[in-house]
Amino acid sequence: MMSNEGRTGTVPLLPLPPGTATRPRMPTTRTRGEVALSSIGAAIQPDRLEKLLAPWLPEPADRAFVVRCLVGEGPHHHRGSNYVLLSLLGLLLERTAITVDPHAPTAQVPMRLPPHLLEHNPEGHYPLLMPLAPLKRLAPEGSAAFLAMVDTLTDGPPQHALANAAMVAMLDVLLARMDGQP
Amino acid sequence: MNALPGGLEQSFRLAAGELGMCTASWLFARELGAAGGAAAVSQLRDELGRMFPVLHFVTSRWLEQKEPLPPAPDRVLEACAGADQLVVVGLEAMYLDALLGRLPGLRVSVLTESPFKVDWRRVLANLGSNVTGTELSSFQRLAGRRSVLLTFLYGRQGNVTHITPAWLRVMGPDVRTQFRTIIGWDVLGDRMDVYPRWLFGISTEDFTHLV
Repeated sequence: MMSNEGRTGTVPLLPLPPGTATRPRMPTTRTRGEVALSSIGAAIQPDRLEKLLAPWLPEPADRAFVVRCLVGEGPHHHRGSNYVLLSLLGLLLERTAITVDPHAPTAQVPMRLPPHLLEHNPEGHYPLLMPLAPLKRLAPEGSAAFLAMVDTLTDGPPQHALANAAMVAMLDVLLARMDGQP
Repeated sequence: MNALPGGLEQSFRLAAGELGMCTASWLFARELGAAGGAAAVSQLRDELGRMFPVLHFVTSRWLEQKEPLPPAPDRVLEACAGADQLVVVGLEAMYLDALLGRLPGLRVSVLTESPFKVDWRRVLANLGSNVTGTELSSFQRLAGRRSVLLTFLYGRQGNVTHITPAWLRVMGPDVRTQFRTIIGWDVLGDRMDVYPRWLFGISTEDFTHLV
């Protein structure tokens, strides 16, 4: 018989030094990777992400493609993580108007094609572009650090790189709003 | 009495390679039926049906006086909306011909892989001047945000469908995320009657569009 012991409970904390006041235990939940993959799949609502990404991807076919790469391909734990993190950012975005400047500088998210084929394939990138404005807050545009950030965010399998690009795009809107920009 | 002409298997292999298994099967069933009636078609099914399960399916339907699934490319065209590149894996001339005439502005490439020996130069010439060939080693040159992959399905049962081995070579986890749309076009409309042998069962969930 399967035991549920440990799936829900408290995280044991390190012992406190003698004489220290008692530290309250905070209720928490943990799993041991025992959640069925079908449960992860059932928790994902692709329609929610399609709606969320509409300002950046006005073409329905483009949205469906990107959302499939985010939550329909690759390891299930990445699919679930992408869904949760993007949905949470979406909750923040619901509180503000979203305007996307089509002329703002962006970086492409390349497909992971073999290099000799990528050179001959100008279409070998995803329809979602990553805005560069947020990264300028971290490093001067064009600097080695800036280019490294662009590279690390857009490199990797699409369930990573596209999720990075989507999160940066959403953070771009949120940061601009916090700065009072229209 | 043997009602079948000699060398029929060799002829069928050639036709299946250059036209597709379903298209060739209907051609053979009709021609043999016209020449030798139901007895000839029944004998064709008995002799080659186990080796070629699509032929078994088609000859059974012919003997039941049924017609092939009509080539209705409208739903394929809908799935291709906004695309500029179509890569076709596998051949079914009866269905592909119906589609090709209605794809203005779309580049079409056929993967030159087949379980049969095929003269691809002749096949591509027959498909028209706007159709090119592409190989396993380089077809990802055609991948992209407006690219579509299509293959033919040999029947469906629940969420399982059968495809040719070339599709297994193409449809890796990498390629799945390099093509916007992945279409499976069923040319049988029902499950095969005999063990599919060298065809392979995969999940229909592998496709973004089922036709």
